[in-house]
Amino acid sequence: MSSINVKVGNVELKSPLILASGTCNFGHELSEYYDLSILGGLSSKGLTIKPRQGNEGCRVAETASGMLNSVGLQNPGVDYFIDNDLDYMRSLNTGVIVNAAGHSFEDYIAMVQKLNAHKDKIDALEINLSCPNVKAGCMTLGADPVQVKQIVSLMRKETDLPLWIKLTPNVTDIKAVALAAQEGGADAVVLINTLLGMVINIKTRRPVLHNNTGGYSGPAIKPIAIRMVAECSKVLDIPIIGCGGVMSYEDVIEFMIAGASAVEIGTGSLIHPTLPVKITNDLVRYTEENNIDLKDLTGTLELW
Amino acid sequence: MKKEFTCKVVSKKMLNPDTAYLTIKCPDIANEAVPGQFVNISCSLFLKRPFGIASVDKANGTFDIGVKVVGKGTVEIAAFEEGKEIEVLGPLGNGFTFDPSKNYILVAGGTGVFPINFASQHLREKGIPFKVVEGFRNASQVVLNEPDYVLCTDAGDIGIKGTCIAGLDTLDDEFVKNSVLCCVGPLPMMKACGNWATSKEIPSFVSMEQRMGCGIGICLVCVCKLKAEANGEEFKHVRCCKEGPVFPFEEVIF
Repeated sequence: MSSINVKVGNVELKSPLILASGTCNFGHELSEYYDLSILGGLSSKGLTIKPRQGNEGCRVAETASGMLNSVGLQNPGVDYFIDNDLDYMRSLNTGVIVNAAGHSFEDYIAMVQKLNAHKDKIDALEINLSCPNVKAGCMTLGADPVQVKQIVSLMRKETDLPLWIKLTPNVTDIKAVALAAQEGGADAVVLINTLLGMVINIKTRRPVLHNNTGGYSGPAIKPIAIRMVAECSKVLDIPIIGCGGVMSYEDVIEFMIAGASAVEIGTGSLIHPTLPVKITNDLVRYTEENNIDLKDLTGTLELW
Repeated sequence: MKKEFTCKVVSKKMLNPDTAYLTIKCPDIANEAVPGQFVNISCSLFLKRPFGIASVDKANGTFDIGVKVVGKGTVEIAAFEEGKEIEVLGPLGNGFTFDPSKNYILVAGGTGVFPINFASQHLREKGIPFKVVEGFRNASQVVLNEPDYVLCTDAGDIGIKGTCIAGLDTLDDEFVKNSVLCCVGPLPMMKACGNWATSKEIPSFVSMEQRMGCGIGICLVCVCKLKAEANGEEFKHVRCCKEGPVFPFEEVIF
């Protein structure tokens, strides 16, 4: 029988499609466009211990097939989120993924402790070891396998909630970082966050982004994400959530063949808010026409 | 539920060599839109482009936008012809609100004339008294000007020589004192007009602009700075596309 249900470890999702952190806020805005309960889940805006106003000035630069952002983790802080947005996310009747970021080991541990106190409302914690737009923590920490293993094992002691580690592609060997996350006790890895990039205004000879650099996302980065999912799929025992440039149901299927158990969509929603509806409908049609269970596609890639 | 629309351009004219005026068929947007709101229009580039709504025709189910050519996206959109099919999101953001017991002073600079044109259309229909002050660089840039508007140009080759402030100073004090000022234009101009309103002890509203991503409040790139409420912070970043683009002048940090 055909189905689009998937599992990421023990987390059952009604679809492989998850809205990526930082491209759906906490769900309020996109709920004005469609019923989010069709989704596998929604990953919250990246949260930090204290509220952050993010970076100043221009935060977006367009490219031929994508965009750079330098938002810098603007968020209301984890306490405000717990008091004001978590129940709303739970009410959406979809997987509740809470994305947590920090500047230091202490920050990450404190975030996990705070969120673990509300574990009945959360399906998984997505740990952001990969934001390229803040000065400390995140990508700096997430590029070093030794620190990744340490921080994940420390968080592991604080919670039974599934820990999904969102990794940065800005490394030489993604497998080493993904394996470090696994050894630390991660339940899954999310591949990939944005690539570090720069766009220059040739009239002013200054970067378009006032942060100078930003995180590159969109269809342009999909082949890199697919390659990293495929590489990690061969060496990991834990599941992978694919992310990077998803614009169609074919992209979702490509990620799953590469080895993803679920797939996040980010920049696609920014361009077309209802794109996840079309992709979901297309996935249902695809599984029906081919009489397949979508989750059977995971890791079916055969290399030459 | 809000929708993503596929619409047709039903007419197009050039207001000057680098400014197009498009009429687009979309009854939903024509019915819902209020002055100060904007739409996001697709082109072949990656991101949609935001345009302030310049006018609506509810009877015909159309709305208008003005497109000043400033970059690759606007070059393409300004070249759209009648019959062109486009993707449109809107109406987006929070526009101006109008109190029927007040007078309105509408101030437009550059492409700010388009949303201000919609505001004047609305006030005319509601019978609310208003004056329009327009500012442009020179005569060749003047668009959507009416005989009863106060026209100012930096070059002075038409209208009053000077900024919109010179135009505002010509307004009758009796009209001004019961007025609310609404301003759309470049940041320095909005700041000057807001300060002028404050000096006259009247409220004012400005329409903030920043490079935009999604237009619907989910990417958080198009923020502007507002004065923070009493929580120890110096400022707060709010989304131009969602909380704005229209804000009370006294809340904005320029």
